[in-house]
Amino acid sequence: MYQLALTYRYLFSKVMPLLAAVGVALCTLMVLVTWSVMSGFLGMLINTGRTLVGDVSVGWPGAGFAYYDELIVDLEKDPLVEAACPMIETFGSITPPDARPRGVLIRGVEGASYARVTQFADTLWWKPVDEPLPKDKARMDPRLDGLGKAAWSEIYKNGLSLTRPDPRTGAAMPAIVPGIHVTGLNRRYIEGYYKPLLIERRQSTGKSEWIDAFLPLDPDLPVVVTVFPIDSMGRPYEAYSRNLPVANEFQSGVYEFDQSIVLMNIDSLQEMLKMKEGLRVVDAPAAPSAQPHGESFAGAPPPATVRDPARVTNVLVKGRGDMSDPARARALRERVQEIYDRFAARHNGEVPSAADIEFVTWEEQNATFINAVRTERTLLLVLFMIISFTAVLLVLAIFWAMVREKTQDIGVLRSLGAGRGGVAWLWVCYGLAIGLVGSTVGLIGSYLIITNINPIHDWLGKQLGLVIWDPKVYYFTVIPNRVEPLDAGVVFVCGILACGLGAFIPALRAAWMNPVAALRNE
Amino acid sequence: MMPLLSIHSVHKTYRLGRVPVPVLHGVSLSVEPGEFIAILGASGSGKSTLLHLMGGLDRPDAEPRGRIEFQGRDVTTMASGELDGYRNNAIGFVFQFYHLLPEFTVTRNVLLGAMIRHGVLAYMGRRADLHSRAKELLEKVGLSHRLTHRPQELSGGERQRVAIARALMNDPPLLLADEPTGNLDHETGGKIMDSLLALRRERKLTLVVVTHDAEIARRADRVVRLLDGRVA
Ligand SMILES: Nc1ncnc2c1ncn2[C@@H]1O[C@H](COP(=O)(O)OP(=O)(O)OP(=O)(O)O)[C@@H](O)[C@H]1O
Ligand SMILES: [Mg+2]
Repeated sequence: MYQLALTYRYLFSKVMPLLAAVGVALCTLMVLVTWSVMSGFLGMLINTGRTLVGDVSVGWPGAGFAYYDELIVDLEKDPLVEAACPMIETFGSITPPDARPRGVLIRGVEGASYARVTQFADTLWWKPVDEPLPKDKARMDPRLDGLGKAAWSEIYKNGLSLTRPDPRTGAAMPAIVPGIHVTGLNRRYIEGYYKPLLIERRQSTGKSEWIDAFLPLDPDLPVVVTVFPIDSMGRPYEAYSRNLPVANEFQSGVYEFDQSIVLMNIDSLQEMLKMKEGLRVVDAPAAPSAQPHGESFAGAPPPATVRDPARVTNVLVKGRGDMSDPARARALRERVQEIYDRFAARHNGEVPSAADIEFVTWEEQNATFINAVRTERTLLLVLFMIISFTAVLLVLAIFWAMVREKTQDIGVLRSLGAGRGGVAWLWVCYGLAIGLVGSTVGLIGSYLIITNINPIHDWLGKQLGLVIWDPKVYYFTVIPNRVEPLDAGVVFVCGILACGLGAFIPALRAAWMNPVAALRNE
Repeated sequence: MMPLLSIHSVHKTYRLGRVPVPVLHGVSLSVEPGEFIAILGASGSGKSTLLHLMGGLDRPDAEPRGRIEFQGRDVTTMASGELDGYRNNAIGFVFQFYHLLPEFTVTRNVLLGAMIRHGVLAYMGRRADLHSRAKELLEKVGLSHRLTHRPQELSGGERQRVAIARALMNDPPLLLADEPTGNLDHETGGKIMDSLLALRRERKLTLVVVTHDAEIARRADRVVRLLDGRVA
């Protein structure tokens, strides 16, 4: 009982240990704020990383594989699968109207099925919006009005179908949907909205003109898309370029994707890559004049041909239900693999075997950047744990001094019948109490900070010009502001235990003191 | 009649580094129930040491082995937990410099022995009883008006009265006082002794008091002199 009574008294009569409690509070606050923000950031990244890849991808990069329609039908019959869609992934380059070419990853998709399998529809940026972005207090986002709702809806629809109406005939023409940072013609504002740049277009005559670079609207601003086709045997053709208008732009939330991926209509891409269904000349062993490009000269004896079915490099699969748990995504992958196995058996020799095909979950697909952030988070935590160790040392040092100061009292307690264990427990108890106070303050403080982190950040930005969370670097307009109760609990308990630990050695010293010597201590 | 406490040929040697400092060599003494013994001796003769051994606060030399028996039980062979209980139940200590805990009020200081004896729940269960007992003891020593004061706010004599009340909280049969009036003026010291003797009569308390004061020695049933580490 005396431990409780004394701890209570010591707690409110001693300044030094309360300073230790402040130290503990700062440590728990630091760890909890960092951990929460980093975890929130990671969660956001993982979620956004999933937006354009589907839950599981079946891939045969390069040449691609045939009969994918059949595979999709097979897949969609399975109860684990909600939808599947074809995709072609290839490297290429685009040259926007400002004439600066850049290398990109081109994905040919079919708008409707791609939107079923991924969150493609949500990532389309140019669309009518009613609510401004959280930080866009001044309603500067051009999507709020600008063109008017009808025009924005039109652009949104174009994006979904990956087409643009021909300005003369009104017929749908194939178009591309690049990531919003691909062309470099959209300026991102700190509030999170985009505005197109004015660009100077140089002409061959030496003259130049300034044009508004809003590609999804302007009929005269096509983008040159260049791809490098290879045939079903993996042999390259010549590069193939084509002018394509921009239908819309997407923002997936992952900067990597938004600056390097261009979506386009799968039919056009198949055509450009020569992956459409067609006849292929089979090289006769005795015909040396046959060209590696698979073409043949007129007048030669009629060459042997085979019918090549259309090919795609990937089939994306969306699982039924929530696949945010990596384990569930892996289970889906197993199932997809089995389905592919049966499909490959049916088309023995015509499609790659399951052993060759890449089956990857969304997590595996984004492993590089997810792991990067995960590692960063762990590193930070370890760093702060080491810093937090100073809190333990602080408690140790302060308690060491306190035990010295209270030596006589320890002697008195022993003379009144307190045992060694009881005296040790008194100090550990006191340490735990310091930890409890510190951790509680830290917990409340970090909760307040995390839940108000965005206003605090804005305020700091305004007062000191300090922008820690630069949206250009971190890309999310708002800082994650959720405290995971489990994490908070772990940090809280650790804070208390750390203080108990810090008090433990001084407690042992107090316990092993000779009571007579302690009493004689002046 | 069995003595309350009997000491047979107890030795105590301190060690200063490697140098042995023999303080007690073969002290024997028997304390009868209800007796008031005054221990006299020169400074450094080992009076405090003897008192600490009697109260189980320290252990005598293992070799040559002596015995300290309290109601027939050898204190020197008790395990440390048992010894804690012995100090808590059987012994009340009063020191020259009072040794009150500055963080506690007068009442809480008196309650300390009870707090040490009981766990939280047991203490809470008999809280009211214990509090009224502490109050009663403080009344006996004339401090009923100082219950919520801190020790720092009391005079030396008042502090010593609190220490006496604290020593008697668990109703020990034996009170060991080490120069209880050594830090007080003659008159105050006399009053403290009056209270002690009154309490002794009332509770049939056995009293062992270390003192330099001839006046106190005069009032004792028996005077024991320590000389050269032995009872003279
Ligand atoms: N921890 C210790 N280590 C070494 N010597 C000690 C220790 N404690 C006490 N002594 C010595 O033992 C002797 C007896 O000490 P003790 O305190 O019992 O004397 P005392 O009779 O109570 O004296 P006083 O009347 O001055 O209080 C002294 O000479 C002292 O120096
Ligand atoms: Mg002494």
